[in-house]
Amino acid sequence: MNTSFATLRSTLLLAVVVAAVGCGKTPPASFRLNMVQATKTAAPESGMEKPWAAWASERQGQVATILEAMYGTPDEPVALAETGLDLAKLQLAAGPVRSDIVGRKNGLYREHCVHCHGISGDGMGPTAAFLNPYPRDYRPGKYKFKGTWRDARPAREDLTRVLHEGVPGSSMPSFALLPPAQVDALVEYVRYLSMRGETELALYTYAEQELGVDDTLPTTKEFLVDEILTPIVEKWQGAEDARIPIASVPTNVDFTKPGDDPANRESVARGRVLFHGDGGCVKCHGVTALGDGQANDYDDWNKVIVEWSKEVSGGLGSAQDDAGRSAWLHAAADVIEGDALRPRTIPPRNLRLGLYRGGRRPVDLYRRLYTGINGAPMPGVGPSGPGGKGSVADAEIWHIVNYIRSLPYEFDGELGADRPMVAKDRF
Amino acid sequence: MTSFCHSCVPLACLVVATIAGCGPQRVSAPVADAAAASAIREGLASTAAVAATGGEAAVVGTGWASLKGRFVFAGDPGQPKPLAVDKDTEVCGKSAKLFDQSLRVDGSTKGLADVVVFVRKSSRVKNPVPDAPQVFDQKNCEFLAPVFTARVGQPIDVRNSDPVGHNTNIDGTSFNQLIPAGQGTTYKPDSEMGAPKTVTCNIHPWMKAYVIFRKDGYVAVSAADGSFTIPDLPAGEPLEFQVWHARATGSGGGVVLARPDLKWNPKGRFVITLQADEAKDLGTLEVPAGSIGT
Amino acid sequence: MGKRLAGIFWSLLFLAVPVLGVATFAIAPAYDHWLPKDVSEHGASIDSLFYFILALTGVVFVVTEVLLFWFMWKYDESKRQGEATYIQGSHTLEVVWTIIPAATLLFLAIYQMNAWADVKMRRPAMSPTVEVVARQFEWRLRYPGRDGTLGTADDLFLVNDLHLPIDEDVLVQLKSMDVLHSFFLPNVRIKQDAVPGMKIPVWFKAREAGSYDIVCAELCGWGHYKMKGRVTFETRAEFDAWLERKYAEQGATQPPPEAADVAAAE
Repeated sequence: MNTSFATLRSTLLLAVVVAAVGCGKTPPASFRLNMVQATKTAAPESGMEKPWAAWASERQGQVATILEAMYGTPDEPVALAETGLDLAKLQLAAGPVRSDIVGRKNGLYREHCVHCHGISGDGMGPTAAFLNPYPRDYRPGKYKFKGTWRDARPAREDLTRVLHEGVPGSSMPSFALLPPAQVDALVEYVRYLSMRGETELALYTYAEQELGVDDTLPTTKEFLVDEILTPIVEKWQGAEDARIPIASVPTNVDFTKPGDDPANRESVARGRVLFHGDGGCVKCHGVTALGDGQANDYDDWNKVIVEWSKEVSGGLGSAQDDAGRSAWLHAAADVIEGDALRPRTIPPRNLRLGLYRGGRRPVDLYRRLYTGINGAPMPGVGPSGPGGKGSVADAEIWHIVNYIRSLPYEFDGELGADRPMVAKDRF
Repeated sequence: MTSFCHSCVPLACLVVATIAGCGPQRVSAPVADAAAASAIREGLASTAAVAATGGEAAVVGTGWASLKGRFVFAGDPGQPKPLAVDKDTEVCGKSAKLFDQSLRVDGSTKGLADVVVFVRKSSRVKNPVPDAPQVFDQKNCEFLAPVFTARVGQPIDVRNSDPVGHNTNIDGTSFNQLIPAGQGTTYKPDSEMGAPKTVTCNIHPWMKAYVIFRKDGYVAVSAADGSFTIPDLPAGEPLEFQVWHARATGSGGGVVLARPDLKWNPKGRFVITLQADEAKDLGTLEVPAGSIGT
Repeated sequence: MGKRLAGIFWSLLFLAVPVLGVATFAIAPAYDHWLPKDVSEHGASIDSLFYFILALTGVVFVVTEVLLFWFMWKYDESKRQGEATYIQGSHTLEVVWTIIPAATLLFLAIYQMNAWADVKMRRPAMSPTVEVVARQFEWRLRYPGRDGTLGTADDLFLVNDLHLPIDEDVLVQLKSMDVLHSFFLPNVRIKQDAVPGMKIPVWFKAREAGSYDIVCAELCGWGHYKMKGRVTFETRAEFDAWLERKYAEQGATQPPPEAADVAAAE
């Protein structure tokens, strides 16, 4: 064997490998459309002349252009006056990681958030597929852990609190060590991405409901601001006033003492009765509160994919002879395969772990019970709106909170080794 | 490295490096037109007084009329599928087996039930919002009304007549409440819906119904024989009606029919102007098999 | 002539190694590229070990490199005068330069035993001040609460923000929730791998108040580089006051007043 030729060949091949692995400039970051919703709302109508793919692509291009007009790009955000967003904060959070002229760090979202939450806030960043639970998709404007009515938006301090504490039990870390100015900038950017996502959904709904196949989306100020944007902004600005009322704590409840302390015994007993009663808590959380009552429900973000996926596969069978419908459903199937995370069921919380995603303070547990958890199957036991009536009196909710807080420690010393996993063993 | 294959390693590296970039690719999404976007943005930023769009002045008439019709299904509905009941089996499905109620066709008359007909925009309303609560109940682990309508501001008494707890979850609203056995709670919708939304129970996932809240209350749901009536409609103005069914294949759930006299549009809508005191009968509205999907 | 120049060039190049090496170490402290500030009690003994080894190896390094330069310079090919002497190796030389490093190593091993024992073996008899659970990619903290026992209902749960008293022995119970991490407090000269499934005690005594870094020193995933925490050393009184504030926050039955006041003012 001619060794010098062999060496040359090996080196040449290695050089080809290195060259093939990565060349070219990185394009600037750009937002992505919500392709699942874009295809879902783009059903072809009978009598369409253009092929469906061309028509849908044009319509989506219009939506992308309008969104860029109203919200800018990931490097250069735009905040219309009507949104009430603080452009200075958005600029701190947006763009590539760099220092600005006074030495402040910019590009915070890209540094801390984008790899899970995605450049458009779609919860589908590069890391997202490996996480359980998936990162939050901001685009529908639904948030789980907040102190406002179920369907209301979170107040700024709810978002700040999530950034500060993280979400224990998930991959969302705590950003307690970031300076408050940076946390504020990130909160503002999340609200911006959420408003952008909701605007996009509103445009798709309008196009589906109001436009004929040959119409284009209007781009006048009256339409975009008054009709599309204003209802979205009103919900966000009304969040501060949509806080649920917190009832005062009954006198037989003392959260500074453990559940088996005499000060709390009566309250914990009442909470146990309410939890195990015919309300139905145990149907999902299980009679042992280990979260083993049911395992086949989805949260709203996954449910959209599951139900749409069922419709698409059902429709594909019967759409063989209709070219437009067939193209539409095949495109929808491709989007579900390549542009959405694989749906995961949401198991009910194991209450014996002492691990609460939304926070472990009594007021956090009260909020989860009062309104339920928006976006999750967890229902509320308080009223559904101001002036309503819940299935449990507001003050009684504190007894359920007391019972839940005692659950991880309930069998300490009683059953010995033969007991459910308690908080002291697992954190 | 054996003398047999000196280039094995680099070759393998090349293959690996090429494959490493593969995987389900994200669908290519359309991009924005930056120039057009800046033009739109300038338009949005301008504080110039917007010229009142010359469009037709809203036509307002006087008097009231009513509309009725009957939906029939031209296709074969097949047998209703039984539902998978796997929770609280001592109660659920005990008094009667539970079937999928999404397509109810009357055997003798071929009438199509649960078709929702509602007005998309009206200028005036005859009757004020009633104070008396409407009842929305569930028994035997199914919702008693497959399609339920209410006016915005009208209280709804959401009841649970079962011996087990249910949670009633109205999609798109603030209402997802745990309702213990035998109890009820009141809900007052505060905004209207563009199309019916689902009502489900998270404890018993097979339970499903539809609900629509409208401000003007001009909604009707076809009965078991397919007939519907909407009384007290404003006369003298063009009214656009939306016809919806849970399994319709039209865009947004609209029911597509062949009724060129009504200019039935592919979104399941038609426009009609009624005369004062007219009781318009649309006759038999035949829904073709292709308009109802799986 | 050309050969001589080449010889000079290469020997001077090799001379640059010890020169630059020593220069780097000499000017580094002026640029703050030196050991981090030490606020611990045992840190001095660890640092002195470091300096001792540095001095020892530094001297050997300089001597060896200078000798290398000298031989390259003096016995350069252009100055060759006759054949080189060929030897089969020298048994004596081999023995000498094996025995001397071995003895040095043995000396070092014995010399450092006390420092090692202080940090890794002589655990103070006390219950843990805090339990640190390393998790991708944060440090979850659990204080025992008013009853002083970990694992009871009054434990205090925090993230990334570790507070400890100064001038007292502190015992940290280190665990990992998922993969290998390493609890590294540079300013207290503490580094301990957090091994999943093990509860590892870590103890030290801080002498000075201040806020310093906690960093992860064992590759644990994509977020390893940003797995930072903050340790704040403060007097016992300040520490107790801080604990009380945190108990109150954890037992909150109302949203924090500042937020509500801000909302009311808006």
